[in-house]
Amino acid sequence: MEHVDDKDILEIMQADLQRALKKPRKDRHWAMAIDQKKCIGCHACTTGCMSENLTPPDIHYRPVKEDEIGEFPNTSMRFLPRPCFQCDSPTCTPVCPVTATYKRDDGLVMIDYKKCIGCRYCIVACPYGARSADVGHYFSGDFHDKTYEVENSGEYGKNFKRKSHWHSPIGNARKCHFCIHRVEKGELTRCTTTCLGHATYFGDINDPQALITKLIAKPNVIRYKEELGTKPNVYYIL
Amino acid sequence: MQLFGILIPEKQKLISTVQDIAKGKAGLSLYASLLGLAIGFYAIAAIFIQGHAHTINTSNLVPWGLQISTYVYFALLSTGCTFVNFFGHVFFEKEYKPFASRIIFVGIVTAVAAFFSLATEMGHVERMFYFLLSPNPKSPMFWMAIWYTCYVIAITWEYINIQTNKHSNRVMWGAFFIAIFTHSTLGSLLGSVSSRVYYYSALMPIYFLFIAFLTGCSLTTIIAGVTVKQKKLDEDYHLAPFVKLLKIGLGLALLISFWRTMIGLSAHFEGSEVFSLTLINSVLFGIVVVIIIPYILLKIGKSANWLIFVGLFIMGTQLKARNDLVVGAFKIPVFRVYDMPEVVHYIPSIYENLVVVASASLVAVLYIVFERSGVFDIRNTKGEH
Repeated sequence: MEHVDDKDILEIMQADLQRALKKPRKDRHWAMAIDQKKCIGCHACTTGCMSENLTPPDIHYRPVKEDEIGEFPNTSMRFLPRPCFQCDSPTCTPVCPVTATYKRDDGLVMIDYKKCIGCRYCIVACPYGARSADVGHYFSGDFHDKTYEVENSGEYGKNFKRKSHWHSPIGNARKCHFCIHRVEKGELTRCTTTCLGHATYFGDINDPQALITKLIAKPNVIRYKEELGTKPNVYYIL
Repeated sequence: MQLFGILIPEKQKLISTVQDIAKGKAGLSLYASLLGLAIGFYAIAAIFIQGHAHTINTSNLVPWGLQISTYVYFALLSTGCTFVNFFGHVFFEKEYKPFASRIIFVGIVTAVAAFFSLATEMGHVERMFYFLLSPNPKSPMFWMAIWYTCYVIAITWEYINIQTNKHSNRVMWGAFFIAIFTHSTLGSLLGSVSSRVYYYSALMPIYFLFIAFLTGCSLTTIIAGVTVKQKKLDEDYHLAPFVKLLKIGLGLALLISFWRTMIGLSAHFEGSEVFSLTLINSVLFGIVVVIIIPYILLKIGKSANWLIFVGLFIMGTQLKARNDLVVGAFKIPVFRVYDMPEVVHYIPSIYENLVVVASASLVAVLYIVFERSGVFDIRNTKGEH
């Protein structure tokens, strides 16, 4: 267990979360930080996310990119987990013709599954490849065989069952939403809690006392493709 | 306003067409088109009933496939028909007169056929009403929908005016400018996507207009060639304007295709290697086959049959070129992870191919039925020659 000032970092982030939830939603600003030195490439976040959100084949809200650095024998591995960056200047929301995807006042980029027409313009527009089209694949083939895959994932705190291709989220764009259905119940995101190396940090960056706010204030922090001007809310600690 | 016999075929003519079909006297082209329509509609029904997972090959890596390419292709054909109608009326009034109603009619049905293809690509087409209930004025796709509606209304109005012998220059100019707005907006839909270097360009709206002009010229040349043969009109006199317009279209397409490729090659952004990756195809197919060879073919002959062949050649190659354009942007993944290939290859499914057949057959069936009924001949189509 990693500790800061003799406290487990999950307990610290949990306390930060409780403090944030006491504020009005507009006063929060959710963000994530990923310490690349601590990421061991175990993919526990990816699998945890898949089980949390019941994502179908080929849809990964949080894949981990693996890069091999250097030449043998001087080689090392670098891992880059990629959730949705919940950009403050997103490229996906302006292109949606029906405002089914939008920026919420707490910093999250949301998708209204009931409104999304499945045009996939947002998927084309996202420079991070963070959005996926749910065309209706199932791990088990015929969905009648497996009730697990048609269960309600609880995404966005709503009741969406993948019963057929007429039922959302099939036909929609899908992406990471910082497990907002968990966060609003006072639970940390699934990827934060499943991270073996404690490399993932989550919290409200409007709170100066929050652990994540202190971490991203350090100089060894970057944001992915920051030059695009998308102002991502995911920080990588180098 | 009289509907039957003026804007649409008389009931009696429609009944006799159905009887001819039943008796086996409807002609090969109508039977082929009806067969294509039946197979195509089967594919569309399968897409809606079985869902995308079982019928189409688009994916997270290639979110837009052949159906979007087909939409773009037919939308550009429609625009091209409106352009040719405009230039025909302005510069070649007498030569163009016998074809006016046919060309603007095909402009309407290609616009409808384009939407057919688009509808099959949408995840939830039944929610299209949100364009009205929850519009996003920042989205080029929203504006495309608005302009597209205006465009179909404008060219339908133009058709009504032509058919009722009340042709209005104001409506014609209006339809021309609305076509420019609509289809440059369609170009901006791709051109404004900054994350895809293959699309992202201020040239894209102009590219769409120039290509629309070329494809429209090729389709209208076919219509003119067939009409000249059927009505035994003077080939040289009536087809000369179409040859001129085709040459201009080829010149414009060469200019815009060349510079789009050259400027793309000079880019040093993430993903811009797609231009060098597709360079051979861009030059050999996109320029030599699509533009240079049709120009040489045009120099070889000017007969109606030959021009119909050249028109078909351009239309066929343009369909592939549109698919290359739409799908090309996805060759290099923006975030490569797990077992994603370095270069993404996409092969459309049989259902996706049949959507193209459905759209083309819809245009052909409607045109042939209207042509057989004589609805396009109510004006003085004989001309002076």
